[in-house]
Amino acid sequence: METNNVNEKLLAMQKAQGPLLEVKDLKVDFTTDDKRAVHAVRDSSFSVYPGQWVAIVGESGSGKSTSAMAVLGLLPGTGKVVGGSIKLDGQEISGLKPKEFDKLRGTKMGLVPQDPMSNLNPVYRIGTQVKEALKANGMDVAHEKRSALAKALAGDEVAVKTNDDETFIGSAELPALLDAAKDALAKIGVTGDRADEFMKAFKDEWVPGSETRWRVADDLIKAGVKDDDAWVIAKKYVTGSTLNDRIAGLLSEAGLPDAATRARQYPHEFSGGMRQRALIAIGLACRPELLIADEPTSALDVTVQKKILDHLHYLTDSLGTAVLFITHDLGLAAERAQHIVVMYKGQVVESGPSLEVLQHPQHPYTKRLVAAAPSLASQRIISAHQRGENADALLEHHIVGEDKLEKSENIITVEHLTKEFKLPRKKEMFKAVDDVSFSVKRGSTLAIVGESGSGKSTVANMVLKLLEPTAGTVTYEGKDISGFKGKELLDFRRHVQPVFQNPYGSLDPMYSIYRSIEEPLRIHKIGDTKSRQKRVRELLDMVEMPESVMTRYPNELSGGQRQRIAIARAMALNPDVIVCDEAVSALDVLVQDQVLHLLNDLQAEQGLSYLFITHDLAVVRQIADEVVVMQHGKLVEHATTDEVFAHPKMQYTKDLLDAIPGGKLQLGLD
Amino acid sequence: MTDTTNTFPAAETLPGQERYVAPIEETPLQDVDKVDESAPATSMWADAWRTLRKNPLFIVSGLLIIFIVFVALFPGVFTKIDPNYCNLDNSLGDPEAGHPFGYDFQGCDVFARTVYGTRTSLSVGILSTLIVVLVGTLIGAVAGFFGGWVDALLSRIIDIFYSIPFLLGAIVVLQMFRTSSSIWKVVLVLALFGWVSTARIARGSVMEAKNLEFNTASTALGSTPMRNLFSHIIPNAMAPIIVIGTTSLGSYIVSEATLSFLGIGLPTTTVSWGGDISQAQTNLMTNPMVLFYPSVALAITVLSFIMMGDAVKDALDPKSRTA
Repeated sequence: METNNVNEKLLAMQKAQGPLLEVKDLKVDFTTDDKRAVHAVRDSSFSVYPGQWVAIVGESGSGKSTSAMAVLGLLPGTGKVVGGSIKLDGQEISGLKPKEFDKLRGTKMGLVPQDPMSNLNPVYRIGTQVKEALKANGMDVAHEKRSALAKALAGDEVAVKTNDDETFIGSAELPALLDAAKDALAKIGVTGDRADEFMKAFKDEWVPGSETRWRVADDLIKAGVKDDDAWVIAKKYVTGSTLNDRIAGLLSEAGLPDAATRARQYPHEFSGGMRQRALIAIGLACRPELLIADEPTSALDVTVQKKILDHLHYLTDSLGTAVLFITHDLGLAAERAQHIVVMYKGQVVESGPSLEVLQHPQHPYTKRLVAAAPSLASQRIISAHQRGENADALLEHHIVGEDKLEKSENIITVEHLTKEFKLPRKKEMFKAVDDVSFSVKRGSTLAIVGESGSGKSTVANMVLKLLEPTAGTVTYEGKDISGFKGKELLDFRRHVQPVFQNPYGSLDPMYSIYRSIEEPLRIHKIGDTKSRQKRVRELLDMVEMPESVMTRYPNELSGGQRQRIAIARAMALNPDVIVCDEAVSALDVLVQDQVLHLLNDLQAEQGLSYLFITHDLAVVRQIADEVVVMQHGKLVEHATTDEVFAHPKMQYTKDLLDAIPGGKLQLGLD
Repeated sequence: MTDTTNTFPAAETLPGQERYVAPIEETPLQDVDKVDESAPATSMWADAWRTLRKNPLFIVSGLLIIFIVFVALFPGVFTKIDPNYCNLDNSLGDPEAGHPFGYDFQGCDVFARTVYGTRTSLSVGILSTLIVVLVGTLIGAVAGFFGGWVDALLSRIIDIFYSIPFLLGAIVVLQMFRTSSSIWKVVLVLALFGWVSTARIARGSVMEAKNLEFNTASTALGSTPMRNLFSHIIPNAMAPIIVIGTTSLGSYIVSEATLSFLGIGLPTTTVSWGGDISQAQTNLMTNPMVLFYPSVALAITVLSFIMMGDAVKDALDPKSRTA
């Protein structure tokens, strides 16, 4: 097998070169206001070989980002490396001065930060910000070494010529080069359609500021042009690019189409995915040997995440760049990296080859993580289905059978729901929701899935009667909710309760937990002080929180705990329907799992119906009976969960399913 | 583009990347998302109080303010002399036993006048602040909460008040009450021109609090907009208003002194630091000490309140801390 050969060669090369980054017994402390030391990272060791993707996985506060920042010498605030060693290319860098770190960053190490929204300066053009990265560093990187590695990674027999490495096509010479190429093709007798085909390929490939002289020559030789002629053309017309060409070249390498125009735009003209591509271009601008990607796609939609990571993988492979990939998603880590490092409470608890760690987790924490990861869970269900086994045992949620679903009555029906918003400075209305119809059956869960901007939250708000629809109706128990006023509205509110996405925003910080949970009882004038107190205790018990939190305030609780309080509040009035708007999206995997369990248990005990809004199909698998897929405000697909996962009908649904991290892993999980 | 998903190299691992599992006792597992029941309970106010308690600025200004309030409430404890008993024989007399600060031009006891002046200054400051905070918060909150034309109208009114120079406006209004000798006319003038800045801050902070998710949550629970405004939005918008209230208390005391100094504030029959400073300036060259005592009293009082305002600001809004 050819791939095996390449891998063996690569392994031998990596072995010979030794680790690029070697972190040994790293200790990082933060000092608190009252001078106490908090051990953020304790005795952690891991290493990254040239050209390798290594993933650090952990939940928030596990020390994964802190470890990466220590490597970059960018520890925030009072953070300090207090022990251990960090070796880059065999050189100790943990004690370096900030000035010396400046020299390493850019050329040796690059960073793709987490939040694409806040990491670009809004007052500078994108191109200017790439230029800054180029200017801040000398561009003398050991290209040869990298190219050799790139070759090994690509498994491609390419002759690397010295001295030609940093000579790119200039945009001024490109037309002449293309003419010369056409002539050369004509000379060797390639004309007509075949020549056009080659020329089209050349036009696509030869991006000014990105394509080097030797690649041009190589392309020509592959097309059949004689070696000498090819080199004459390459040497004559590829004579180096301007800085602007180079900037556009870098941006187009990062996957931005029409890069020259894009370089002149400002960050606000870019979408989140495009900004992340620009940040990747900046991170890779000076051809670092090690790229540190700190949750580079966590803020993006799954389909965008997949595209960007695919491209980053392709790019780093062709440049021979090693990547230290920080993520909270075990499935994503396993899919992208060869080696996984699992961190928990500041320590490395387990590390090893991705697949092995995933298949045979040994540390209890890793086991827990593997069990909870939604992407892996849905994977398990799919493989059980494939083996023809009953997957019910794997589900926390007992799916209501299709026949039973059909029989049960609708508790909420949405018909031809449409919502238009007026855009500022524009005449035409923007259709956020466009003719959506579905119904939630009593005692079941319907999930609405879609990416940001699909209109799923707008639907939720209309079902909750927080927004009035432009057209269409929402009926609850057969009654149109648009006419609800006064007592009727209060009654509707009592039966349909929301749980919102942001556990930090949905509880009033000035209210104690007791007051927060008691609020609905107070609004609906139920019971007296004593009976309310009893009810709050019951509710806290229901969401598995100790009674002692009653006197506490939201800022003392973690995100998952707050979400459980929000659920307790929603449950206070014994509702029939709970609308969960991205209720678990902001939570760590384990906590997310816990909250999903809770929701499932409550449904089983109380016969609740859920309308579950989420962007994460993997979570849907664990909780929903029916799925509605939305795109650009329209309903794309509506079927039972099993049906959607097993036989998606629309391309968009297939893309979404495809983008679930870890979806392609051959886990062989048991 | 080539297929970039993981191809997983053979089982062989590189040195340093062998399989590693940490001993379990080193990082024992905790319950997922365990509630830390040992930590002390904190609300925003309890938190602010904890920060304040340790702030030397707060301790010093707090002690000073307690002292000043005590003087204002019980001036008789400090002096038995009537501040309005003046004997021209003692005009500009030097300090002597029982009269530590000496006498002013009219022959009144400077110590007694300084002590009794505290009450005037403090009442004007506190009363103006209370009215300003109440009126300003209400109008600002209404503007911020309802938005639309209500906001447009109220904001223009606020702008109009902003555009009137304070001294000019104060002189015009006070001329109308020339005959009144009550401190209320000064309080009302200060409130009339002071509420606008509080209203602006209240408007901004209500607009911010209005968009927080807990209001939507509360609406979905069945709460009415008015209930939201009073039980969620205003309490959450109070912090910056309290900060500006404490800080501006000092400046109202200064303004009262300024107006009294100009002779349009309190009548000469009312003992006040501003009035005394004004009286003393005629003899500045010969008897500077007569000017000195009320000025220092004024400065200490104003400084205490401004320091207190700063400390409160630090505690309520840790982001604004400079250090």
